[in-house]
Amino acid sequence: MGAVSAEGFPMPMRQSATSARWVLSAPLLVFLAVFAVFPLALGTWISLTDRSILSFSINFVGLKNYADTLRDPDFWHAVFFTLKFTLISTFATLVLGFLLALLVHRRFPGKTLLVTALIMPIMVAPALMGIMFRLVLNAEIGLVPAILDRFGIAIHLFSPHLVVPLLILLEILQWTPFTFLILYAGLQALPDDVFEAAALDGSSPLRTTFMITIPLMVPSFFVAGFLRAVDALRTFDVIFVLTGGGPGSLTNTLSIYIYKKAFTEGNFGLATAAAMLVLLMVVPLIPFLIRRVTTRVGDVP
Amino acid sequence: MTRTKQWPIMVTLAVALVALVVNIPLIGALLTSFKPDGAITSHPLSIPVPGTLQHYANVLYAAGYDFPLFFENSAIIAFGTVVLTTLISVPAAYAIVRLKLGGQWLLNAVAAMRLLPAMFFVLPFFVMLTNVGLLDTVWGMIVVDTFLNLPIAMVILARGVADVPIEIEEAARMDGASSYGILVTMIVPLLAPSIAAAALITFLFTWNDYIFAIIITTSAARTVTVGVSQFVTSYGILWGDVSAGVVLSVIIPIVFAIFGQRYLVSGLASGSVKG
Repeated sequence: MGAVSAEGFPMPMRQSATSARWVLSAPLLVFLAVFAVFPLALGTWISLTDRSILSFSINFVGLKNYADTLRDPDFWHAVFFTLKFTLISTFATLVLGFLLALLVHRRFPGKTLLVTALIMPIMVAPALMGIMFRLVLNAEIGLVPAILDRFGIAIHLFSPHLVVPLLILLEILQWTPFTFLILYAGLQALPDDVFEAAALDGSSPLRTTFMITIPLMVPSFFVAGFLRAVDALRTFDVIFVLTGGGPGSLTNTLSIYIYKKAFTEGNFGLATAAAMLVLLMVVPLIPFLIRRVTTRVGDVP
Repeated sequence: MTRTKQWPIMVTLAVALVALVVNIPLIGALLTSFKPDGAITSHPLSIPVPGTLQHYANVLYAAGYDFPLFFENSAIIAFGTVVLTTLISVPAAYAIVRLKLGGQWLLNAVAAMRLLPAMFFVLPFFVMLTNVGLLDTVWGMIVVDTFLNLPIAMVILARGVADVPIEIEEAARMDGASSYGILVTMIVPLLAPSIAAAALITFLFTWNDYIFAIIITTSAARTVTVGVSQFVTSYGILWGDVSAGVVLSVIIPIVFAIFGQRYLVSGLASGSVKG
């Protein structure tokens, strides 16, 4: 997991290598210029205008879109809903993923097959997961209400007071396999001798877990947690397919809020301003994660 | 003694239970897709024996469904994105890690792109693609999906390049090999597992993308992921047909991922970013 550093340098760089590095990375640099830097600038510009989805007259309006967004209670509702959704689901997927990793980290029959089955939800498009949730939760024909019915439980899963916990639960269900995968990989990478020493010293399994495993796993928790958090912050697919942000605007995530501003109301200026505000919320988190995710390139002047 | 003997089976059962729970949606869709319409409404818990293939036939052949088109679009877009992403990221990863282009800063900047909200970029993309006439085309989708996947591909490939022993490269340089020669004849073959991991994850994320596809495509370039989720709204809810469509759309990524599980796990676990 740790940063892999390129030991030493290649031979002293010659003329050919110097030109080669520009030639070899030209496609990347051109692509970034056209599809990252330019859109960033264009998005910033649009957020300062009254551009609509199909507008021919575009007027500069300054920071009006930002002021309007910050004054919109629906925006703040989306902010708080998204934060709540992110914090609870990230924490729960970390805990459950870790418990699952501890459980799986031993020899047992059928392990290979079961691990494959465990991580299957990661491969399913979240939007299609949303459709399938709609199917299995459907009050008339769904598997889950039918099972609950057998136990005499009749609830309306999509009623206003249940829909938020339900969405959080579904997020946990889909993404615990992901945190499991990262944490399990981290667990397998831990040195065996520490655990052998602990066992020789008569440390109980619980004590070993809390005093040795968890501290050693901090980097894995960090990566899994941040990746989950960043993805949960921009959740769109599952909730859009399941509730469309409703009832009302109760389950609007920030992404759904922006989407509706742009494509339901057709107001690109407002939508990009809101998107820029979200971008500014996420940016401070990035350095923490990047340092742990990317490869060390080596000592670069 | 008996305890140690019984433990493994208990673990198997416990893990199997969790695997069952997280896959309830898939199981539900699979069961529903084989049930006749009557049984879907009257017996939610029944096992469809004997099953019907009517829903699959509807999805694939019935008039009004564009499923074959969606499928073709998804395949072309996913394949095109894998090719474009690989062609851009393999040489760039080598240039950054071994030829020290831009150093840590450039790699970090590319990786950071993945963390930015896609919803921010999709609005300018919509405007840009509209202006150049690439809205609702597979080409437009290939380009935006490449944007989506470049960061993760770069992270995986940069790690792969850093793992290639530098001595091999030094020896080749002594013999007068150029950077291009070294990349093609030495780095690429050694990098094959990383390229496979990056390609597999790129394929998966592209196939599963929803945000870009729902905004950039309207009909001609519509993908299965969006197309199938819209069965629900456009045609009333024919759950049998919807389920068959869902099963057909998830089967490709699942099969790919099972056969490439080794690469998938190494790719995702190398601190990468999911979509």
